[in-house]
Amino acid sequence: MKIAVVGKGGSGKTTTSAVLARTFARQGRATLALDCDTNPNLGISLGLGEEVTESLIALRDAVDTGEQEHASSADDLVRRFGVEAPDGVHLAVVSAIQNPEPGCP
Amino acid sequence: MRVAFVGKGGAGKSSLAGTFARVLAGTGERVLALDSDPMPGLAFSLGIDRVDEGLPDETVEEYNDDGHRRFRLRQGLTGVGAVERYAVQGPDGVHFLQLGKAHGQRWDNTRQHFGFQHVLDDLPGDGWSIVGDLPGGTRQPFMTWGRYADTFLVIVEPTPASLLTGRRLARLAATAQAPRVVVVANKVRESEEVERVGERTGLRVLGAVPFDPELETADRLGRAVLDHDPQGQTATAVRSLMDVLLTGMEPS
Amino acid sequence: MLGQLARPGTIVVADFEAGLGTVMRLDGRPVDVVVVVVEPTAKSLEVGRRAADLVRESGLGRLVISANRVRDEDDAARVAAAFPGLDLLLVPDDPAILAAERSGVAPLDAAPEAPGVRALVSLAKGLLGPAGA
Repeated sequence: MKIAVVGKGGSGKTTTSAVLARTFARQGRATLALDCDTNPNLGISLGLGEEVTESLIALRDAVDTGEQEHASSADDLVRRFGVEAPDGVHLAVVSAIQNPEPGCP
Repeated sequence: MRVAFVGKGGAGKSSLAGTFARVLAGTGERVLALDSDPMPGLAFSLGIDRVDEGLPDETVEEYNDDGHRRFRLRQGLTGVGAVERYAVQGPDGVHFLQLGKAHGQRWDNTRQHFGFQHVLDDLPGDGWSIVGDLPGGTRQPFMTWGRYADTFLVIVEPTPASLLTGRRLARLAATAQAPRVVVVANKVRESEEVERVGERTGLRVLGAVPFDPELETADRLGRAVLDHDPQGQTATAVRSLMDVLLTGMEPS
Repeated sequence: MLGQLARPGTIVVADFEAGLGTVMRLDGRPVDVVVVVVEPTAKSLEVGRRAADLVRESGLGRLVISANRVRDEDDAARVAAAFPGLDLLLVPDDPAILAAERSGVAPLDAAPEAPGVRALVSLAKGLLGPAGA
């Protein structure tokens, strides 16, 4: 099942995504949370804390500035730009994949 | 004065930019308020009943650039001319121009986008103040939608997510060699939050805006906070932000 | 990309970029569910209404409106008026969520029993369906 969470910035989109993802995982489902925002902070709402979340963003920015290679595929993206969050949710910051415009490709 | 408001979505950019533009216009300045967000926003905060309209389609023409389809302002139309002709007048005499808003499936914003960008490169100079409201989450606001600004106000709520965006913008500003970049602490409930915003972003704090329940009410009613509560906390705080900028006082 | 990541049995939750740009580019690559998150403010409802129109017109997937920070009957009425006939979840305005956001912790860890959090948990369970499918 694929779920897209959309809305105006600041409307609670990220909080909603985080509670959904962790609830699915708690129900025993393999869950992948994708942060497609250009200012990614889903990690904080998932409970990863600021430091880990910020390190994922720094990795993403390194891609933007050319210091890091773009992910070559979806699997590569999750491996290199992903991290395990509470309840076993996998989180990946998605804009790290090559993409002419920001957001989820 | 050319200022641009940046920050995380929901941090309060539009509310503060709209109030700022009107307060500045109210002092007799000629003010152009610019909204470059593809979603509706600044019009509400200015109290202007035009949520959608941007530059009319016929102001932008297509041309062929070495095999590439590109767009530019119609021959003979300058950015200054576009502002004179298409900016709408709002309360307190503020002039308002926005990027046309997204509507419906297959809504193609290419024309609007290029037309608006060309206006940004040719804004009226002498005698005008520019107040820009940028989309939240902009990757490179300093080089793109905010490239006209001489001062950037990074609007930050005292939440980790908002602070994180503020830090990131501060870092990008340094890389982009942006002009003056300051931070405004918004929705402040306790005074130590202001200090935290300065520390955690590494930016100079221009000022603080308290959490204002009247702003929440105004937002729910779809009214400009300046009309809803003209002497309230938000209006008062924005007036003092403006004073600090105008007098060139060192921010606290 | 979303398609590449989906594996049988796996749930993908994509927290989209603010606004609608990327939703429009989903064209032709539908998802199962689109959750449109709104607040009962005029701006947020206007953005949400456009998102909902887009999702319906392009048949992107099942549409659910989740309205946060609903304080009273007036707020509920504002949301209902903006999305007539649609699947609506009203999430009560919950200081516990605000407090969690302010301290940078997960609402599910900080306040699992808070009404706002419970509403979102019920949305998740509802999406899984009665059989957890």
